[in-house]
Amino acid sequence: MSYKLKSDQGVILADLLAGQVTLMADQLRYSLRIKSQDRTAFTKACGIDLPNKIGQTIIQNDRMVFCVGPDEYILIDNPNLRETLKQKFEQLADKFVFSTTDISHRNIGFKLSGKQAARMINIGCPLDLSLETFPVGKCTRSVFESAEILIFRNKEDEFQLETWRSFAPYMARYFEKFCLENESL
Amino acid sequence: MTINRKETHGRINRDKPIKFSFDGKIYSAFDGDSLASALLANGIHLVARSFKYHRPRGFLSAGSEEPNALVTFDRGQGRVTSNVRATTLEIFDGLVAYSQNNWPSLKFDIGAINDFFYMLFPAGFYNKTFMWPKSFWDKVYEPAIRKMAGLGPAPIDEDADKYASLYSHCETLIVGSGPAGIAAALSACEKPGRVILIDEQNEFGGSLLSTPNLTINAIPAWQWLKNSLAILKGRQNVTLLARTTVIGYYHDNFLGAVERITDHEKDINQNKARECLHRIRAGEVILATGAIERPLVFPNNDRPGVMLASAARSYLNRYGVVVGEKIALFTCHDSGYEVIFDLADAGISIACIMDVRDQVSDNIIAATKTRGLEIRTSTIVTNTSGKFRISSLHASRINDEKITSTEEIICDCLLMCGGWTPSVHLFSHSKGSLKWQENLGAYIPDTPNENTISIGACNGTFGLTDIMTEADSGQSKYTVDDMDFGSGIIAATFPTKSDPAKIKAFVDYQNDVTEKDINLAVREGLKSIEHVKRYTTTGMATDQGKTSNLNALQITAHAVAKPVQQVGLTTFRPPFTPTTFGALLGGKDGDTFHVTRKTPIDGWADDNGAIFEPVALWRRARYFPREGEDMLAAVNRECRATRESLGIFDASTLGKIEVVGPDAAEFMNRMYTNPWMMLKSGSCRYGLMLGEDGYIMDDGVIGRMAEDRFHVTTTTGGAPRVFRMMEDYRQTEWPELDVWLTSTTEQWAVIALNGPNARKLLEPFVEGIDLNPESFPHMAVREGRICGVETRLFRVSFSGELGFEINVPAHYGRALWEVLFKAGQQYDITPYGTETMHVLRAEKGFIIVGQDTDGTVSPMDAGMSWAIGKKKKDFVGKRSLNRSDIVAKGRKQLVGLLTDDPNIVLEEGAQIVADPNQPIPMDMIGHVTSSYWSATLNRSIALAMIKDGRALTDSDIYIPMADQTHKVRVSTPIFYDPMGERLNVL
Amino acid sequence: MLLIRCPYCQEERPEIEFSYAGEAHIARPLNPDDLSDESWAEYLFIRSNRRGLHYERWLHAHGCAQFFNALRDTVSDKFETTYKIGEARPQVKK
Repeated sequence: MSYKLKSDQGVILADLLAGQVTLMADQLRYSLRIKSQDRTAFTKACGIDLPNKIGQTIIQNDRMVFCVGPDEYILIDNPNLRETLKQKFEQLADKFVFSTTDISHRNIGFKLSGKQAARMINIGCPLDLSLETFPVGKCTRSVFESAEILIFRNKEDEFQLETWRSFAPYMARYFEKFCLENESL
Repeated sequence: MTINRKETHGRINRDKPIKFSFDGKIYSAFDGDSLASALLANGIHLVARSFKYHRPRGFLSAGSEEPNALVTFDRGQGRVTSNVRATTLEIFDGLVAYSQNNWPSLKFDIGAINDFFYMLFPAGFYNKTFMWPKSFWDKVYEPAIRKMAGLGPAPIDEDADKYASLYSHCETLIVGSGPAGIAAALSACEKPGRVILIDEQNEFGGSLLSTPNLTINAIPAWQWLKNSLAILKGRQNVTLLARTTVIGYYHDNFLGAVERITDHEKDINQNKARECLHRIRAGEVILATGAIERPLVFPNNDRPGVMLASAARSYLNRYGVVVGEKIALFTCHDSGYEVIFDLADAGISIACIMDVRDQVSDNIIAATKTRGLEIRTSTIVTNTSGKFRISSLHASRINDEKITSTEEIICDCLLMCGGWTPSVHLFSHSKGSLKWQENLGAYIPDTPNENTISIGACNGTFGLTDIMTEADSGQSKYTVDDMDFGSGIIAATFPTKSDPAKIKAFVDYQNDVTEKDINLAVREGLKSIEHVKRYTTTGMATDQGKTSNLNALQITAHAVAKPVQQVGLTTFRPPFTPTTFGALLGGKDGDTFHVTRKTPIDGWADDNGAIFEPVALWRRARYFPREGEDMLAAVNRECRATRESLGIFDASTLGKIEVVGPDAAEFMNRMYTNPWMMLKSGSCRYGLMLGEDGYIMDDGVIGRMAEDRFHVTTTTGGAPRVFRMMEDYRQTEWPELDVWLTSTTEQWAVIALNGPNARKLLEPFVEGIDLNPESFPHMAVREGRICGVETRLFRVSFSGELGFEINVPAHYGRALWEVLFKAGQQYDITPYGTETMHVLRAEKGFIIVGQDTDGTVSPMDAGMSWAIGKKKKDFVGKRSLNRSDIVAKGRKQLVGLLTDDPNIVLEEGAQIVADPNQPIPMDMIGHVTSSYWSATLNRSIALAMIKDGRALTDSDIYIPMADQTHKVRVSTPIFYDPMGERLNVL
Repeated sequence: MLLIRCPYCQEERPEIEFSYAGEAHIARPLNPDDLSDESWAEYLFIRSNRRGLHYERWLHAHGCAQFFNALRDTVSDKFETTYKIGEARPQVKK
């Protein structure tokens, strides 16, 4: 028998969010853990650039690598590269002490765009998102009310937010409320 | 309607006349009015009844300090707000408001009878009177008191409005936009940082809005204000927030502020938030919150028409409203004269000017004479008359604290000026210390606890020249043409000729606290202001004593004959002014009130009639009733179907942690009681986790996926704390271990198949895993594919039946469930919920951490010594297992219970005794932890923790309940299939 | 809401991202079995509960996920300093 199981991200966005909030398509996501002293050699061996400081991001083609802790990276990539990456990690298993865990379906990604994007995040997130303190390219974990988020600034007026799957509808409702209010202003 | 208006005065928009309704009657006003100014323009002074005595009350002030003029603001169903200060309510066409705390009407209020029985209501009245009998409090006293006392009614409808919230950041936050705040903003906006200027009023300007006659840099005040605001509005780095009250000032310059967005708008927009809670983090906070004028405490100082002098000035200059036709002034401070001069210059008749002091400066005397007025020095007000508005007053000459003569003076308004109290509320919230300023008779900021400065009147700096200089960091680029602010004395208590027991000289208007009450409290032995406050309730009303605290303090100090500083000062607490619950929630309502985590399969359960229950933040399907079934019927059916054929269960909420690294097994060995080093890849083991205290903390099945990789499951509720505890040990106790942890709870959807037909259903969909029992035995785990997607397939059972837990990436969870459910029809596949899961596991004697354990249960207590790796040198909690009290006799142990009458289902939590005939209080030997009807066994079963319970196996114990005592036989906790043979069906 | 400087992120971040994790510099005994009941109880339960400057552990739970140590005044609530796990405790200024 051959089956094609339908993927669902567990969250539906209201029409009124069009152009302001979009749900990102399925992504390949890995939690990658490696000690900082092994970072450079690891990068050389596998060709995946790892940022060297918490809060930094490296983008190569579809690939984004966020450094969120002293030895912790979130790697987001094209789902078609799943096998390629898996093999790459397997080959390195004997050479380096590191850990990879597939979290592709753990997270849901939102893209927030437009002049109101930072303000929309600030309805629930206490971080200062001015360009001076949160420049383009910065990433960090933080909170959005009761949800933990990963926040990344793509552009001056574009952010990517990641949260765990079961928190995504809750966040979407916040965005909807915000857009309803701000349409009427 | 123009009778009380001055055409030459005011900032109201006379081109926009509007209508509003108060107590059902329609009145006219202008755009720009407050409800208070609009009512006063219509000659309405009586607007409220007081809290305790139901005395007629009018407007004391023109601002947010107002204690009297509280009204109900009605915008339709779900939009009724009680206790709104009429002085801050902006008027719009069609506004509807009511007076409150009166019945049947404001003018004829039955409750006013309290005023004549005041001798019954001294301070501490409630504490003294309603003590006995105790049972009367709930049924008799409290309902009656609630009806009589209090302010407006609490709303009964659900709030129809929306609310919002926003975190903001700035380098400089300025609170208050009077002259000091504006000047500070002008200089702050020149610097690169972000500036936020906040004011509670609808217009920026603060006191400038009431003082159009002064000039700044030779520009009239209002023009200067307009110019300044134009500059600020033009700056990219400046945010102006009007109609916004800073309600609290917290650690590290974090401030809460509520912006009122729609209350002043005529039309209701369903989508627009009514209020927004701003949570602001500021680099520096500049407090320019001004000062509040103090009333004077004399007999009957609460009649409508008796108001603060500054209020009359605001009504005249800002709103063009004349508060009376014959106005008297009673003052102890020079600033009162500025008001009387403005009124006199506007052509209003002045009844008399009474000054407590025996001398007034020559300038003031001259300015008074110029206007044809005279000052009565050494004169106080000793009484007032007038039913719904003041009609006359008694002016008494005093000499050496004694009244020498008294004269009745006709007036329709009496202004009071008792000096000024700096608004140090926010500074105090931030834990800055205060110091007593004798010449002001008030506390002012001393040492700040945050990066903040106070400028202007809130810092005790008065007089516009000084204020502007201070606001501009000591530079004097402003030249101000302003009358000298002058000085005054503190006059909190006055002599009287009347019987002190019979007069009412109000200190706290809102809570009806009089000077007499405070003196009584002191006589009864309460010497600290904190005690006096609680005994008399002074300062405890919704206005938090903005106009009364300093007078209460002075009177207390006088009564205890101590300096004010030694009497203390009560604590200022947020919020600065009453705040709606909606604003505090800041939009966290409905489905954003609380996160409800839902599994990938939740939608299917919802579509198929599941009844849900909350488990930690999750909602889980509890059972799936068919038509006509109650919970018991549904659960019985689900249990039977699972034991007889096939049940399907959503176990996605189980916590999951991926433990990876060369030292993963060593790490697991240290965290869990069980041995892990020898566990082979592809095998699972039940893991038991203890706290260092030796008590059971969590459990779950753990699979070894590879030499260096474990798939750990935890309880649903325990997932976050288990992860945190593991991280704690990993990072801080054993940093030498090469191991990492990743939460994968939400990476995997988990579908549990249980029942003799589980394998048959599963087999056709699985690729790459041989399900044959020899190659895939109980407690094994394999990786492969199911319906084309990757899976981690566990052969485990929490039901005692043949069981599989299918982990698939979460986004495929629902689709896979639907495929299995469809294919399972041939086996009458039955979805079941947490209730059936609980029954099935209890039949097998499997514990649920947190239900059968309570944080004081050791593995030995739970009969789980088998889970402890005996040869292990150490693991978390091991040392505690040898503690004397843990190995002692008499500990409660997990046992099974079978009721003598099989139809009795015991209550969970019920207490257990050995001898039902012993006298009360009985010796309780344990309690029921789990109890169910078992459809499989056709009888009730229960689990319990009983002292030395295992030794009581096969003996009887008793459970006394309200209606009868149950006889119960102690048994092993395994009720069904003790040999575990059902796991092995082919 | 306090601002707390995370020694790993090298940034001041809002308190809501952090959680408290008890008194600092209490190491788990290396050989618990060698301890008397009294010494083990001391390790398990006895804390200094200090009024004033207190060495304590915090977790940047919704940030870099690292535990770190802090010197904080329990009266004013303010943080004197924060430092990484393994670093020597800073001296209290008299």
